[in-house]
Amino acid sequence: MRILVVDDSKAMRMIVVRTLQLAGYDEHEIVQASNGREAVEVISQAPPGLVLCDWNMPEMSGLDLLKGLRAAGWDVPFGFVTSEAAPQMREQALAAGAMFLIAKPFTPEDFQDALDPVLA
Amino acid sequence: MTYIPSADDLEVITREVWTSFLDGDPDGLLPGATAAGAEEVTGCVHLSGAYTGSIMLRCSGPAARYAAAALFSMQPADVTQNEVVDALGELANMVGGNVKSMLPGPSALSLPSVVHGQLAVPGAQVVREVALSWRGESLVVSLWQQAAQAA
Repeated sequence: MRILVVDDSKAMRMIVVRTLQLAGYDEHEIVQASNGREAVEVISQAPPGLVLCDWNMPEMSGLDLLKGLRAAGWDVPFGFVTSEAAPQMREQALAAGAMFLIAKPFTPEDFQDALDPVLA
Repeated sequence: MTYIPSADDLEVITREVWTSFLDGDPDGLLPGATAAGAEEVTGCVHLSGAYTGSIMLRCSGPAARYAAAALFSMQPADVTQNEVVDALGELANMVGGNVKSMLPGPSALSLPSVVHGQLAVPGAQVVREVALSWRGESLVVSLWQQAAQAA
């Protein structure tokens, strides 16, 4: 499966990729984008099996990306990896169609808890 | 009455970020101020809404390079300015996002900005601050609030 990691911080994309490997998902192909607009290009070329996306990004936020995908009929599984994890953010994410929200900082176990049900 | 996260809260959040992503050592961050030297770097995110203010991470130049090296898995001597900016911005974003979740909402969190030197926000004042030491280098985390709200 292809997993698309979307974050404007290159450091955070590297940490997410490392955490995916530590959590046991190293057999999956990882692709990256640095904002929502780049992610749309990647998704339109070859839809991934899962999108792991930051919330706050320049060009296009993660929430705008998710709403745009759903409005266009794309049902790719989508989860947020974000520093903002207040209950109202989780509600907003789930209402827009996200499957989960992982709060930064996170552990490999956090990834397993969120991703196992999606990737199983 | 509005709860404003304490200096201890700032320390706990910072320690969690450092332990998770920087050195894995809960005792890596020590309480207490350390001289920063001339070369400081500040990462900052702003909040606007029910709480208007800022969260800043200010550290010595060497600490900024150590942090970038840890996040990018490279040697401090090989770290570029772009990597320091990326790392300090993301650290400010993580600490700021977690502090935001303890503040009254709704508020919007800005994208991070990073400057060399210290940063002051016009019309705002420091309401909480904690001084830490990491690898013998200074790290100061502060929460600011617009004066109109703080009054």
